[in-house]
Amino acid sequence: MQSPLSPRTLLTRTLAAVALLLLVMVACSLVGTEPISLKAALIGPDQPASPNLDHEILLRVRVPRILLAAIVGAALAGAGVVFQAILRNPLADPYILGVSSGAGLGAMLAVISGIGWTVWGRSPIAIFAFVGALGTVWLVWTVGRITGRFHVTGLLLAGVVVNACFSAAIMFLTSIAKSQDVYATVFWLMGNMAEEDAFVLWASGGCVAAGLVSLFFVSAPLNAISFGQTDAQSMGIHVERVQFLALAVSSLITAVAVSLSGLIGFVGLIVPHAVRLVVGPDHRQLLPLSSILGAMFLVIADTIARRVIAPAQLPVGVITAMIGGPFFLMLLMRYNRKVCWLA
Amino acid sequence: MRNCIQLDHVTFAYRPERPVLMDVSLTVEAGTFLSVVGPNGAGKSTLISLLAGLIRPQAGTIAIDGCDVDSYARRELACKVAMVRQEHVPTFGFSVIETVLMARIPHFSPWGFERQADRRIVADALEMTDTARFASRPLAGLSGGERQRVFIARALAQDTPILLLDEPTSFLDLHHQVGIYDLLRSVQRNKHRTVVAITHDINLAAQYCDQALLLQPAPEPPATGQRSRPAEAQERYTVGSTQQVFRRDEIERVFAIQVFSARVGTENVFLPLGKMAKDAGLGGSRPDHRDRSKPIENT
Repeated sequence: MQSPLSPRTLLTRTLAAVALLLLVMVACSLVGTEPISLKAALIGPDQPASPNLDHEILLRVRVPRILLAAIVGAALAGAGVVFQAILRNPLADPYILGVSSGAGLGAMLAVISGIGWTVWGRSPIAIFAFVGALGTVWLVWTVGRITGRFHVTGLLLAGVVVNACFSAAIMFLTSIAKSQDVYATVFWLMGNMAEEDAFVLWASGGCVAAGLVSLFFVSAPLNAISFGQTDAQSMGIHVERVQFLALAVSSLITAVAVSLSGLIGFVGLIVPHAVRLVVGPDHRQLLPLSSILGAMFLVIADTIARRVIAPAQLPVGVITAMIGGPFFLMLLMRYNRKVCWLA
Repeated sequence: MRNCIQLDHVTFAYRPERPVLMDVSLTVEAGTFLSVVGPNGAGKSTLISLLAGLIRPQAGTIAIDGCDVDSYARRELACKVAMVRQEHVPTFGFSVIETVLMARIPHFSPWGFERQADRRIVADALEMTDTARFASRPLAGLSGGERQRVFIARALAQDTPILLLDEPTSFLDLHHQVGIYDLLRSVQRNKHRTVVAITHDINLAAQYCDQALLLQPAPEPPATGQRSRPAEAQERYTVGSTQQVFRRDEIERVFAIQVFSARVGTENVFLPLGKMAKDAGLGGSRPDHRDRSKPIENT
């Protein structure tokens, strides 16, 4: 019998994808408003005679931002895979259980209240968004549990309703807020990258990486769960345990991503689909490859966002939807005959 | 006795005033092919769920291989009992072999990959169900009959002594119905599995099964305010060999229809006949069925 996915195949493909991601990151670090030369930058920091500008731009500006985009992209795409599997719904994305509106409401409250303090150098917007996102998922989870013994439909409905309520609250706050506050929040809601310091990158990158690795260990049971809870249970899988762990971890990394860069849409929806169209639905492969591809996708999108109307910058969320949409439709038409994922 | 199923005074109710299964006691010996028959709402699927450990009875005990179902860890129970649900298509486009391999997930290596033994068991299951030919095709591209064989293959790949099936042939044409029953019978005979299958096709069940369980739905609870009647002492199920259980008067009473039946070979065949049927006159011995004419609630 031919194994549908051997460890060797998975490792080869993952390593190839990582190599490609590194290549893309290096290439994107050379693109920007200011042309820089990699050779000059690699000479090292300031020479005695003159400061090495190329080095400064690369290390202080470009690299942190590219790393940030990679972290956020990986988190969103990985979480998207998990949400689609657990909710057994191809339309699910990391925001569906209320992360987006919860984070948005948190950000809005932070701006309006005019809080000035920071935690570990993070702005109040980021902190409020993080707390809002996780709090909302917790609320939706609790409501979903009350509606029945962990019912996927109940969870989805609770997510939709909570999203609608919180969106209304955001609109209410928008309509009574001062105009410069509104501008700050709207810009944040569109999804936006900024240069972050090393500590933030290490902490969030570590958190996302640990989350994705732990999700990989439930990816085989996720395959069975996407056939339904009863099926998975009768196959001897601890469905509730896997579901809780997967939802908690993917919500956490989504909240981290959202607190870093606002609501970047589309990555968590289309990257998993695009990867699934090409490599099939096995989550052991889908999860690592989607994360890497999500990172790559967001790095490219952010590079375009900071280049296209330079020296001004576009919110990256605009780019992800604008290039992601048509690209996805192309894939859909090309592969639709080969893989019919929806009967 | 190894790998037998024993139900001892099992009662299960979704609503307390109307138990679906009431005081059911029976033993299914290892290697038996048992068909579960009865009107909608009689508790057939409930029985299967109880045996699979998905729900717990309110009273009584269910023992598999001599131990209470509750006493098994989920993974242990999945090594005893495999289940095939009614036909369905998953959300994502898994291929046949990926689907069948999922039965081995609890036995995977810590990294989430199958071992050599898993591959062998899956290859056997594909072979036995004649699904190896289209092992790499996505499930959604298969016909209903082929898909049902895949889910049976997945249950076989769990490598359990007991196989539970919930209406395995309900959406299939005659050719595939017979194919599935031939397959189940050969699994039972050659692999010495115990097979419990829910079905609505009494004739096929009579031809293929050793034993039959005929379940009756619970009577409507008395309306509020009315004085409740004394509890019926009569048991709401019949179990035994197919010849014992599939009798015309039993079928007519439980399903509240008239049937024409005749002995063909070793088993009876049943032809259900409604009032408007062309040969309505052939069915039934009793002209008046008003006592059972209330429509049976569809659950």
